[in-house]
Amino acid sequence: MKIPNKKKLIPSIIIQTIKIYPVTLFLFALVVIFSSLYPEKFLNPLNLSTILRQFVSLMLFALGPSIVVVTGSLDLSYVGIWMLGGILVWLLMPTLGIFSILVIPLLGLATGFIVGVIQAKAKMPSFILTLSVLVIYCGLTGTISGGISRSVRGYEFITARLIPYIPTAFLWTIPIIIAAVFIMKYTKIGIYLYAIGSNEEGARLAGINVDKYKILAFTISGLFSGIGSVIYFQHQGGSVPVVLNLNTMVWPLVAIVLGGTPLTGGSGGPQRTILGALTFTVLCRGLTLSFLDPTMIQLITGLLLIASIIASSRGSKGVTIL
Amino acid sequence: MVMAIDDTIVEIKNVSKTFNGVVHALDNVSIAIGKNEIIGVVGENGAGKSTLMKILVGVYPPDNGEWYYKGTKVPFPKNPKEAAKRGISIVYQEKGVIPCLKVYQFLFLGHEDKYIKYSRLDIDKIKKYAREILEEFHVKCNIENFMYELPLSTQKMIEIAKAILNVRLEHEDDNITSVIILDEPTAPLTIEERRELFSDILNMKKNVSFVFVSHIIPEVMEFTDRVHVLRDGKMVAHYDLSKDKITEEDFFRAIVGKESLERIYKPEIKRVASEEVVLIVKNLTKNGSYYDISFELHRGECIGIFGPAGSGKSEIINTIAGLISFENGALIIKGQEAKPKESPHVRLARGIGYFSGETGKELFLNWPITKNISIVNIKKILRKFIRVINFNAEKQMAEKIVQKLRIKTPGVNTDCYSLSGGSKQKVSVGKWFERSPDILLLEDPTIGIDVGARKDIYENTLEIKKRGISMILISDDPKEYSLLCDKIIFIKHGKIQKVISGEKFKQELEK
Amino acid sequence: MVRLLPEWFRKNMSTIGPIVAAIAVVGVFQMINPLFLRYQGIITLVYAMSYFLIAACGLTFVIMMGSFDFSVVSLLKLSALICVLYIDKLGLLVIPLALSICVGFGFINGLLFAKLKVPSFMATLGVSVVVEGIALYLSKGFLHIMNDRTFRALSVTFVADLPSIFYWAIGVWIICTFIAIWTPFGRRIYAIGGNPIGAMLSGINVESNRIYVFMLSGFFAGLAGILYMAQFGGGSIEIGADMTIPLFASVVAGGTALTGGVGGPQRTLLGVIIITWIQAGLLMLGVGRSIQLVVFGLIAIVMGISTIDRRRIRIIK
Repeated sequence: MKIPNKKKLIPSIIIQTIKIYPVTLFLFALVVIFSSLYPEKFLNPLNLSTILRQFVSLMLFALGPSIVVVTGSLDLSYVGIWMLGGILVWLLMPTLGIFSILVIPLLGLATGFIVGVIQAKAKMPSFILTLSVLVIYCGLTGTISGGISRSVRGYEFITARLIPYIPTAFLWTIPIIIAAVFIMKYTKIGIYLYAIGSNEEGARLAGINVDKYKILAFTISGLFSGIGSVIYFQHQGGSVPVVLNLNTMVWPLVAIVLGGTPLTGGSGGPQRTILGALTFTVLCRGLTLSFLDPTMIQLITGLLLIASIIASSRGSKGVTIL
Repeated sequence: MVMAIDDTIVEIKNVSKTFNGVVHALDNVSIAIGKNEIIGVVGENGAGKSTLMKILVGVYPPDNGEWYYKGTKVPFPKNPKEAAKRGISIVYQEKGVIPCLKVYQFLFLGHEDKYIKYSRLDIDKIKKYAREILEEFHVKCNIENFMYELPLSTQKMIEIAKAILNVRLEHEDDNITSVIILDEPTAPLTIEERRELFSDILNMKKNVSFVFVSHIIPEVMEFTDRVHVLRDGKMVAHYDLSKDKITEEDFFRAIVGKESLERIYKPEIKRVASEEVVLIVKNLTKNGSYYDISFELHRGECIGIFGPAGSGKSEIINTIAGLISFENGALIIKGQEAKPKESPHVRLARGIGYFSGETGKELFLNWPITKNISIVNIKKILRKFIRVINFNAEKQMAEKIVQKLRIKTPGVNTDCYSLSGGSKQKVSVGKWFERSPDILLLEDPTIGIDVGARKDIYENTLEIKKRGISMILISDDPKEYSLLCDKIIFIKHGKIQKVISGEKFKQELEK
Repeated sequence: MVRLLPEWFRKNMSTIGPIVAAIAVVGVFQMINPLFLRYQGIITLVYAMSYFLIAACGLTFVIMMGSFDFSVVSLLKLSALICVLYIDKLGLLVIPLALSICVGFGFINGLLFAKLKVPSFMATLGVSVVVEGIALYLSKGFLHIMNDRTFRALSVTFVADLPSIFYWAIGVWIICTFIAIWTPFGRRIYAIGGNPIGAMLSGINVESNRIYVFMLSGFFAGLAGILYMAQFGGGSIEIGADMTIPLFASVVAGGTALTGGVGGPQRTLLGVIIITWIQAGLLMLGVGRSIQLVVFGLIAIVMGISTIDRRRIRIIK
C-alpha cells in the first residue's frame, strides 16, 4: 500500500472523523456562525471559560447515562442522586465532617445497583423506573432539607482556581471522562455492554450473563453520576436545589443523542457524548449571547432533542419499541 | 453405522427425552459423528431435531443415554461451555450475530478473559488471532468491519468460525477437531449465497465435522455424507449417501411416514372451482427469493405451492399477505392492482387473509377465545343501530367455532394462554373460517397438531372451499396438498418447475 | 414471593388488587382520623380528584396501547395558561383553541411515534420540553388570575352539593369506559397493546390508530387543563410540576399494565381514588409535598412491577 504524501494525509483524517462523528460538522458550523456573528462576545476568554463550565456541568451528568444507553436502556436518576446526595452531605456534615462528601458516590453506587436489579430481574422498563427513582429522591431531598436550599462549607478546595480561565472542575472532569471511555473501549465490560445493546438475545446465546452486566451498567452509571455530582456540587457553590428542573434532566439526554449514541444502544457511548455535550453547550451559549428571548432556548432544546432522536431512530432495525 | 472407533469424535447412544406434555420428544436416538464428515439430520418440525441439538450442546440433559468422546464415555455436558470441552459447538439459525460489534470483537465474544493484560484487553493479540482464523477459513473480510456491514453469508461463515473457536479455546489446542452443529444455516440466505456458503463449508472439512440440521432436502442430499431421518422422536432411517442411491421421494417417505398416509381422513373430494378469477399473480419477482412467478387463482379453488424449505414458497405467500414487498411484476386482487408495498391490513381490506401456524404471531394470548375470534369479525358482532359490540353475539360466534372445530376448552372465555398448542391453532384457524375472506393464505396450518385435530381442520377447510373461498396453501406435509389442493405448483430455487393437478399429485404420492 | 399465592388469586390479582388497595387506603385514613370524611373533606377530595381523573383517562388509553405519554402534564399546563391569558381577548373561544392546540400536539406525538419510529417516551418527552418552553414564553413566569365568571362557572357551579367539575369528570370517565369496552376502536387499542404484529395481521391499521390515541390523550389533557383553570382561578408555570408520577401511578394502580393490552379507563377510577385519597390523607397528617413525592414514586415502581405481564417474553430495556 502506498503511503499517501503528507499533503493528502491531513484532510483524510478529517474526513474519517466526520464520517464517524457526523456531529463535528454541526459543531464546526456553529463555531463558525457564532464567531462571525458575535466575534467579540463569543471568542473572548471569558466566554470560552463559561463554555467550559457549562460543558463540565453537562458532561458530569451525561457520562453515567451514556453508558446505560449503550445497553439500550435509559437512566434518568442522575439528577436525583445529585440532589439527594447534596442534601445528605449537609445532613451528615456535623457527624462525619469532611468525609461526608463520600456519601454521594456511595449513594450513586447503591442507587445504580438497585435500579439495575429491578430492571433486570423484575423487568420494569428503565425509563419509568428511573423517573420514579428520580421523583422519590427529589421528595426525600425536600423532606430532609425542609424545603429550603441548604449549603455546605468546607469543600471549596475542590474547585479552587488553579489555572486562569479554566474551571478547576474541568480538570477534575478530564480523568473521569478518560475512565469512562477506557471502560467502554478497552475492557471486557465495554464490549459486553455494546453486545447487549446490539442484540440482547444474541449476547445471551454467546454465553454472556446478560442480567449481571445490565446490573453492572446501571451501577457504573450511578457511580459516575455520584462522582460527577461531587464535583458539580461544589461547582454550584456547595448547595443543591430542592425543586426539580426539567431542563437539568433533559439536557444530558440531548447531549447523548446529539453526540450520536442511538437510544436503542449498541454503539456510541461516552466518547460521542463528549462531542454532543460540547456542541450543545456551544449552541446554548451562542443563543444566549444573541438577542433571542431566553425562553426560546428551552423551545430550541426540545426541538433539537426531537430532531436528533428522529435522526438516530432512522437506523433502528425494526425494533418494536414502547 | 459401522465406524472405526478412532475416527469417531462424538457419539451418543440411546438418548431419550420426554417433556411434561409431549411424550418422547426423543426416543432411543443414536448418532455417531466422525472425523471430516458432514452429517445431515432431517425431519419435520416437531420431529425432535431441536431437542437433539439442545441436548448435544448442553442446554438440557437427556433422560437417559450415553455420550462418548473419542471412544471414552463421558457425562453429558451441563452447559454450552462443557459441550465445547467435549468438542461440540453450535451455530444458531437466527439471532446469533451481534450487528454492532466488529468482526474481531464478535469472534472472541465470551473469551475475553483469556486475553486480559493489566486489566485491559490485549486487543493486538486478539486482532492478530482473528486475522489468522479468517485466513484459515478463507473468509474474505476485514477484521475491522462491523458485522452489520457484511453480507449474510459472510456473517454465517464468521459465526461458524466463532463456533470452531469456542471449541479450540476450551481445549487451548488449534488442532483439535471440532464438531459444529449448523441449525438451518441457509434459512436467511439467497440462493446464490447458499452456494457460496456450502463451498466454503466444504473447504473447511479438513479439521471440522459438521452436523447439518435442516429440512431443505436437496441441500442435504448434495452436501452431506450421511443423513439421519427423525420422525416423532425416533430415528427412522439412516442413509449413507456415498454408498446408497437415495432419491428425494425416499426422503419424503421417511420423513412423512407411509403409514400415516393411510390413517388420513379421506372425504369425498369434489373439485369445485368456478371460472371467476380472484387473484392474478404476474411475473412476481423479488431478487434473492423468487423469480417470475405467475399463476391465477379462481374462486373456490385451492392452489398449493410445493417445494423444499428455502425454495421461495414462504416468501411468495408472505408477499401476497403484505408482510414482504415485491420488486417486479403485478399482483391483481379481484381486478384491482395492489401496490408492491402494502401493509397486511390493507391486503385484508382487499380480501386477503393470512394465517400462519406459528401461534403467538397473530393470537392475542392474554385474551379469551371470544375476543380472539371477534377481532377479525368485528363488523359481524356490532349492534344494528348504534355500532357497539354485542357481547352476546360475540359469545355465540365463539361457541359456534368451538363446537365446529371441536376445540378442547372449559369455555369460550378461557384465556388462550391456558390452551394447548393444538387448541390455540384451532382458534386461529377458526377465526379465519368465520371471517371467510375472498382469499385465505394458509402457511403451515396444521403444524404440531395431532391427527384427530387435523381431521377437524381439514373438514372445515373443505367446507369453506365449497362456500367459494379461494386458498393458497403452503405446508411441509404432502398429504395436505393431496387432500386440499386442486392445483399444485412446484417450486425450486425460487422458480416454478411444473404445475400439476391435485388428482395427479395424489396418485404419485400413493405409489 | 408472588409465586407462592394460589393460582386463582394470581390470575385475578389485577382486578382484586386495586379494590383491596382502595378499601385499605380508605380504611387506614378513617382509622387515623374518623372525621376525615366530613363535608369539607369530601369536597376537597372531589376537587383534587376530578381534573386528575380526566387527565388520567387520556393517559390510560396510551398505556393500554403499550406506549407512554410524558406530555400530558405539560399539555394540561399549556391549556390552562392559554385560557387564562386569552380569556379577555377571545372569551369562551379559548376553550376550542386550547383543545385544538392540545390535540395538535397529540397528533405530533403520534406522528413521531408511529411514523418516525421514535420511542414514545422520548417523543413525548421532547414534545413536553417544547410545550413547557412555549408555556414559559407565554406566561413569562408570572402568576395569572382568571376572573371570568362564566368560565369559572364551568367547574365551580354546585349541583346537588357537588361542584360541576365532578360531573365533568364522571362524564369523561363514563365515556372513556364506554369507548374502551363497547366500541371497536377500544378493541383495537387493546389489540395493539396486546400484540402489535397480530393486530396488523388482523386488519388493524396500527399506525393510524396509534396517532388517534395520542390525539385523544392530548384532548383529555387539554380538557383537564381547562377545567383545572376554571376550578383554581389562577396559575403559573408551576402548575403540575410534579404531577406526572402520581398520574402514572394512578393508572397502574388501577390495574392497567405497562406492557399494554389490559386494564383500561374503568380501572383508572380506582387508581385515581387511591392516589388522591393518599394525597389528601397525607396532607391531613401534616406531611409535606416532599414525602408525597416519595410515596407516589414508590407506588409507581411497585405497581409498575406487579402489573407487568411476565408471560409475554419480551426484551424489556
